Amino acid sequence: MSAPVIEVRRLTRRFGDFTAVDAVEFEVQPGEIFGYLGANGAGKSTTIRMLCGLLAPTEGHATVAGHDIARDPRAVKRAIGYMSQKFSLYLDLTPTENLSFFAGAYGLQGAERRRRVEAALVESELTERRDTLTRDLPGGVRQRLALVSARLHRPQVLFLDEPTAGVAPDARRAFWREIRALARAGTTLFVTTHHLDEAEFCGRVGLMVDGRLVALDTPDGLKKAHVPGVFLSVFAQGGDLREALRGVDGVLGLQPFGRRLRVRMAADAPLAGPEALAAHLRARGIDGVEVERGDASLEDVFLELVRRSEKQEA
Amino acid sequence: MTPALVRTTALARKELAHLRRDPQMLAFALVLPVILLLLFGYAISFDLDRIPLAVVDRDQTAQSRALKQRLTAGKLFVEIARASSTEAVEPLLRRGVARAALVIDADYARHVLRGEPAPVQLILDGADNSTAAVALGYATALARAEIPAPPVLPVEVRARALFNPGLRSAIFILPGLMTFILAMVAVMLTALTVAREYERGSMEQLFATPARRLEIILGKLGPYFVLGLVQVLLVLTVGVALFGLPVRGSLTLLFGVASLFLLAMLGQGLLISVVTRSQMIASQIAVLSTLLPSLLLSGFIFPISNMPLPLRILARIFPASHLVSALRAILLRGNGPAEVASDCVAIAAFFGVALIVTTRRFRRTVGA
Repeated sequence: MSAPVIEVRRLTRRFGDFTAVDAVEFEVQPGEIFGYLGANGAGKSTTIRMLCGLLAPTEGHATVAGHDIARDPRAVKRAIGYMSQKFSLYLDLTPTENLSFFAGAYGLQGAERRRRVEAALVESELTERRDTLTRDLPGGVRQRLALVSARLHRPQVLFLDEPTAGVAPDARRAFWREIRALARAGTTLFVTTHHLDEAEFCGRVGLMVDGRLVALDTPDGLKKAHVPGVFLSVFAQGGDLREALRGVDGVLGLQPFGRRLRVRMAADAPLAGPEALAAHLRARGIDGVEVERGDASLEDVFLELVRRSEKQEA
Repeated sequence: MTPALVRTTALARKELAHLRRDPQMLAFALVLPVILLLLFGYAISFDLDRIPLAVVDRDQTAQSRALKQRLTAGKLFVEIARASSTEAVEPLLRRGVARAALVIDADYARHVLRGEPAPVQLILDGADNSTAAVALGYATALARAEIPAPPVLPVEVRARALFNPGLRSAIFILPGLMTFILAMVAVMLTALTVAREYERGSMEQLFATPARRLEIILGKLGPYFVLGLVQVLLVLTVGVALFGLPVRGSLTLLFGVASLFLLAMLGQGLLISVVTRSQMIASQIAVLSTLLPSLLLSGFIFPISNMPLPLRILARIFPASHLVSALRAILLRGNGPAEVASDCVAIAAFFGVALIVTTRRFRRTVGA
């Protein structure tokens, strides 16, 4: 394995008495899509701002693309691209003006700048709307343009802070296709999101709760480690499902999901199969039972970890 | 170009693009000064001349006609009505048709020919103090030249301790007006443009680029500096062309002092926006912090020497008073660098303090 692109050691940031990021540690490999998850205020943006050289850490250290974030933030800034949560593009400027501004802000000039701006317009399919105001472009198009403009200087690492907030679902999917294509081409991506379904596209996922990194693994690894067992999705016409499941061996968790009930059971439990569970419920007098095998989701992991961390505090 | 220069010009070009999309800003910067100039310039010259005069000539002699002609020969008085009696004049004054009335008694010529004091009455509309004061002074001077003794003037003119713009000509007002315009527009536009970057969250995006703080400031404010110089040129041109403003000193020196003043104003605007980070609050503070010093504490309208000590000190802290006195020195008196040096030092000191406070604030709030 080659050297990590991002190396974070006991990174901490305090604002007065409040610890926004608490001794966080991780590494990100080249070409990896690293997902950074957590509720609002869990410390995602503070971490990203430190790694982008925008905020000095209180303790600990980190290197990005080989540069120390505290000692040489400008070298870090040259090596990375950053799409912040609040801002993507100047809406009163045209795509061409936006692109050529960001190219210039990263020191590109002359023929090289014009060539890259032109290529970016082609890539975001905006050659015909190059002189339309950005304000008048659809949200999804603006988002792609923002991504292209963050990459004009060909950064090794791209930091995307909530890149799909407020973007329509189909545009979100297209956006993630591009992100995966970028990773295949060798760019390292550090993405924060609160859409848990998006986190499934990430190579590895780190979970932040109250400033601490409480879990870090591949999406499958997280599910196996934190919500092991079999997921069975139960539908019934009538009867008290919860009452009927009381006393059943190996039930690890119950969670309503629409009109269904998701039952998590130990893999070696006697009723850990759709047929066996359906037979048991019918025997308990539940009408119109349907049981399907389900999959663990990152949402299950997230809820489980938040619950555990709340229990610890209480 | 060096990378630093590339980044700075990229920021300046972006700022120009914003300005192009926001014509109200440009209008504020270039049209407002001209309107203010015309307003101030012509209002003042209108006050000074063409005071409507009613004449009651009971004497009807060569001597009485000569007096009347002396009074109306200048531009100050215009004869608009003749009446036979004092009573007939009163309604004209009451309705404001006439602002002054000249009453010459029947035996005026006889008294004059005998070398005795001749009774002449000048009735003035005291409601308009400054006009009345000017008219009175002018008429008294004329009458003294005409006859040996001063005429009886039964009109009470109450004097207020107000600066009377009518006594000064437009050219004395112009340096103050130029200062007011430069301060207002430079501080306002700077405060707005920087606060806007904070408001839409793009300031952080700018700081995420390799551009240094100084490059961001220079790139963003450079266009407004140039705009300020264009305003200086505009005000000078209009002043010379329409109001006969004299330019007795060096233009290079004038632009030098104006540039220094502009830097101070850009610094003030930057400080306001870095502290408030909101366009609304920034624009209100910008108006307050430029209007008061450049209108009231600059010597533009009220002479600083007449103010109480605390206000005099305050007036000297703000750069506006120094630009007004430097501009008057250069334009009207034709003074050189030696006479305006102390004003320049005072303006530079204000700029220095604004810059230091802003840079500190900038570092603390944005990080890194």
